Amino acid sequence: MFSRGSKVPAAIALVASLLGLLFSSNSTSDYAAHLDRRLHNVHCSFIPGVAATTEAEPCRVAMYSPYSALMKDQYWGGIPISLFGLGAFCFFAAFSLYVLLAGERASRRTLGFFALVGTAPLLVSLLMFTISLTQLGHLCKTCVGIYIASALLALGAIGCWLAARADTGRPPLALALIPAWLVALGVTTLTPAIVYAASVPDERPYITQCGEIKQPKIKGDSPVKIHGTRPVQPTMLFEDPLCPTCKAFHDRLVSENIIEKLDIELVLFPLDSECNWMLDQPLHPGACIVSKAVLCGDGNARQVLEWAYAEQEYLTRAGKAGEGVLRAAIKQRWGESLLRCVDDKKTDVRLNNHLHFASENNIPVSTPQMYLGKRRVCDEDTDLGLRFTLTQLAPEVLK
Amino acid sequence: MTQAVDPPPPQRPVPARSAGVTAARAGLVAGALLCAGSALAVHSWTSTAAKNLVEPEKEKPKVAIADQAEVAYCTPQFKQVLERVLHSCGLAGEGDGARRGCKPADVKTFASISDDDFNALFTPLKDRGGVVMFDEGRDELDDKAKKLLEERWYARKGARYFFVVARASKTGSVGKNNALSHRRANSVMYFLTQLANDPEIEQKVGLLWLGNEFAQLSKEYCSWPRSRPDEKCDEEPINRSAFVSWVDCRL
Repeated sequence: MFSRGSKVPAAIALVASLLGLLFSSNSTSDYAAHLDRRLHNVHCSFIPGVAATTEAEPCRVAMYSPYSALMKDQYWGGIPISLFGLGAFCFFAAFSLYVLLAGERASRRTLGFFALVGTAPLLVSLLMFTISLTQLGHLCKTCVGIYIASALLALGAIGCWLAARADTGRPPLALALIPAWLVALGVTTLTPAIVYAASVPDERPYITQCGEIKQPKIKGDSPVKIHGTRPVQPTMLFEDPLCPTCKAFHDRLVSENIIEKLDIELVLFPLDSECNWMLDQPLHPGACIVSKAVLCGDGNARQVLEWAYAEQEYLTRAGKAGEGVLRAAIKQRWGESLLRCVDDKKTDVRLNNHLHFASENNIPVSTPQMYLGKRRVCDEDTDLGLRFTLTQLAPEVLK
Repeated sequence: MTQAVDPPPPQRPVPARSAGVTAARAGLVAGALLCAGSALAVHSWTSTAAKNLVEPEKEKPKVAIADQAEVAYCTPQFKQVLERVLHSCGLAGEGDGARRGCKPADVKTFASISDDDFNALFTPLKDRGGVVMFDEGRDELDDKAKKLLEERWYARKGARYFFVVARASKTGSVGKNNALSHRRANSVMYFLTQLANDPEIEQKVGLLWLGNEFAQLSKEYCSWPRSRPDEKCDEEPINRSAFVSWVDCRL
């Protein structure tokens, strides 16, 4: 593939490392920016250097996912894994430069080492790629940039080794250098993470600053009860079954096994002006009907809610297409009797009671919202800081 | 004697050792610089975030707060009358045993406005509300009246208060009409209590009975949604009624 002594594979490895460095930097800076608990645009492009954007849903999903960081219980948001990529690509950029400049002075063992460790980012990328496809259902473009850089790095590193395999004229290598390089790889990989962990701000004073619910009981009605298998923490959730953020939040609760420890009172808060007078126009058309389906689920409310989340894209399209399409979807999945309940005036009143409960408590018109007991969990603590916040406010949930 | 010898095979020039050393140094320096640079960058990002965290956000995105509905007809004058109704007619939580409802004399006193102005306040509620009609001298609700009441009650949306303004007849004695309009208001209240099964209904429904003393309806109100749309309507039957409506105002 590459001619003997060719410098092309080393150049490829160097360019790949710099690309990986750039994408990892973007990802890390996005993550770190959110430590101020504000909303920020996120980098989400295959093209290096493209500015952060609001149109970055897949990258946001990846960022908020449990796979984006380590040690989320100890640090608010955890230690993002992109930090390890950032450090590792520093090492590989330097090593590629050495191989490129050394040319035929680089020993075969050096190149063998390079080929071996140079495939490590590709293996990690393959793992993350699989997680993205199977667990998140999205491919974040910045992450894909890192995957491509990792693949090119592996190609370059292996190419260097192959191009020198039959070359007997290369100098020998002192074996002691290999452990030294491994140490260097370890140090450079860990350095950004250590610096990050040492310098993240203390979020503890802020997580209790988002107020309390004034009136915890719905007048003349009851919320939807969802009991986990080992419920230890009374929790109130305001959700809209057609809200993508609610779906992502629910998925986090499920994937991190948090939901099983919660004793949930679910208040339906559809952001659809058809029933919700607090909006001028529907944010999620059809959400009123789907909310009524959840109310009608009674003992199966969690199943109906999770069905709505699983089919959210289809139900959203159906909601835009018209009430009939949405009603047909509900009937097909849950049968005639549930649809009759959805059409019952009493269900309208129940949903209206839920909305009035929200208005009597003057909660923000946004979903999802989580209350641990009476205390409101801040929005930013329901995504990046969820595990840390639970560790602080309800540690038994994570045991 | 000389012997012919084969020339030595051409050898690839061995790169100078110094080139390898230079490359190694370049690699080391680059590695050190990149590692230090990335550490500095990370520190800078977290420091910026930490600084932003303690500084109040200059342009904090405004989030709407959930509240009861408030629509265009909620003028200050309208809200003033409503507020007086709430306080004077027993909705504003005076506790058990509080007086329920307002009789004509009360309304005249607290509204402090003319009959026409009082009725005009309710004009924007034409489509939101409805006129429940009664037989002459009677206070029972017929099926059509119950249907209209049910429709209007279930169309609550973001309103907090439901008003019932009962009247009696243009003719007859003041006392008799006063009592009749009171009974009509109570009939509506009784039906709503059965329908809603809401323990807090007393805090939602405001009753006003006007007899034939105050704010009688003109024939124009026959065009409003009525429980008996097919019946002949003029000033007499339109006042044998109770006007009902949710009111979308925050108070």
